Amino acid sequence: MAPTRPDLGHGIGLRTPHFARFLEERPPVDWVEAVSENFMAPGGRPIAVLEKVRRERPVVLHGVSLAIGSVDPLSERYLSDLSRLVARIEPALVSDHLCWGTHRGQYLHDLLPLPYTEEALAHVARRVEQVQERLGRALLLENPSAYLAYRDSTMREWEFLAELARRTGCGILLDVNNVYVGARNLGFDPRAYLDGIPVEGVGYFHLAGHDDQGAWLLDSHDHPVPPPVWELYRHAVRRFGRVPSLVEWDDAIPPLEELVAESRRAAAIEAEELGGPRRRLAS
Amino acid sequence: MTLAETQALFAGLLTGDEPAAPGRIAACFAGTPALPAEARVGIYAGMYRWRHADALRATFPALARWLGEDRFLALATDYVRAHPSDHHDLGRLGRRLAAFLRDHPDRGRPDLADLAALEWARQEVFFAPPIAPAGADALVGLSPSAFARRRLALSPALRVLRLAHDAAALWRAIDAGHAPAPPAKGRFAVAVWRRGFDVFHGALALDEAAALRGAAAGDPLARVCAAFGDRAEPAAAAHAALSRWLEEGWILAAR
Repeated sequence: MAPTRPDLGHGIGLRTPHFARFLEERPPVDWVEAVSENFMAPGGRPIAVLEKVRRERPVVLHGVSLAIGSVDPLSERYLSDLSRLVARIEPALVSDHLCWGTHRGQYLHDLLPLPYTEEALAHVARRVEQVQERLGRALLLENPSAYLAYRDSTMREWEFLAELARRTGCGILLDVNNVYVGARNLGFDPRAYLDGIPVEGVGYFHLAGHDDQGAWLLDSHDHPVPPPVWELYRHAVRRFGRVPSLVEWDDAIPPLEELVAESRRAAAIEAEELGGPRRRLAS
Repeated sequence: MTLAETQALFAGLLTGDEPAAPGRIAACFAGTPALPAEARVGIYAGMYRWRHADALRATFPALARWLGEDRFLALATDYVRAHPSDHHDLGRLGRRLAAFLRDHPDRGRPDLADLAALEWARQEVFFAPPIAPAGADALVGLSPSAFARRRLALSPALRVLRLAHDAAALWRAIDAGHAPAPPAKGRFAVAVWRRGFDVFHGALALDEAAALRGAAAGDPLARVCAAFGDRAEPAAAAHAALSRWLEEGWILAAR
């Protein structure tokens, strides 16, 4: 299995509006994360951009369609496409979400939360092992943003995730914004969530913005990282140490400089909290 | 509830296959006074609808622009009900939209199905495998008999559409923000192709479209060129067409 916490530094998501910049220059970010499904087509501009970026810096592949928690069989077509992309890009890490998203062969195209039960845990653990065997490397799973919980759940999300990592050896992609959004929407203590995640299990952090809908928070990825999420990130850095971070921005995407600035801020907070020298971002 | 039962209920609530009965929702999902379980499920149901519509809008920008927000959302909802996504790539959701519009032509104009076919072809060639076009001299220096026997390998990033309306003109008018001409039925052909990372489309003469289809089917050049037989100067027309195909990168090899 590949190491689940390489020393990547601080990165940003590779998004279409910035393709031209990445083709023409070398933006000052340590690494990029690419949404796997957006680069599975054999040709065209997206994969050409990703291959150019990969020649210059580490890439992490982050999927949204594995549907690790669905009761549907794992999609052979998806695993085949993902395996081909992994072989082509040689990513530092491969991640997806702790969720389900298919039903009777239909893709619902959402990251739907699971009931946190022993049945679901055993089911997901079996499938994580299948995927890891297929890819020949550890998979990282991200805690989802959630707007509802199930009456049948018998454990908290962080307990489920920690036990899944223990049983399968999978890594955890800890989305700090999702923890904050879930805490507000479902009524738990976000610090208790972080404190319940095993320190050695976290491969990298996600940071993002959300939208306040009044009675609930929407994980919108269309804002800067807000102050409470930066505060929670500080707590995460203190608990987990030097962990790569990734700023996600998927809607109303700003100029590249703004994203890079968010990434620099993550680096600065890490340096402040850990007391070491501030990491220099790649140039 | 088992995991399978839970997912069947939740999926049905998202797609609309399952009526949103408050009792069933409350038995499965937890809510709060500020945000009851039904409202929480409704968040996901709304996102399901919008995410699919957004994906279709990205693939069919001209169609979406002509229909406007409400009518496009209604079309997307009806289409997804009829053809739920069966591929992990949401970009492939729209591959049956042209056929759906042909079967349901009551969306405002009878030529919208052809417009959708054109936009879907643009999407397909955008993601087609990389190509290495033949050089400009690929057909130079051949004896007449060798030329006649050659067969062309055409670019996978080329589509030749046969349409019942002038969808290219409709696309052009919408793209320019002009009022499109009224739809008129006829026989039209359009080529859609990628050069570098850019996608183009343009009208084709019907005989040139037939020639391209023949070439794609493996016809030797003698038969491909025979498609121009009704022109005043067939040889000149065939020469011009082949020159253009080479120039646009539609020909990968002549064997």
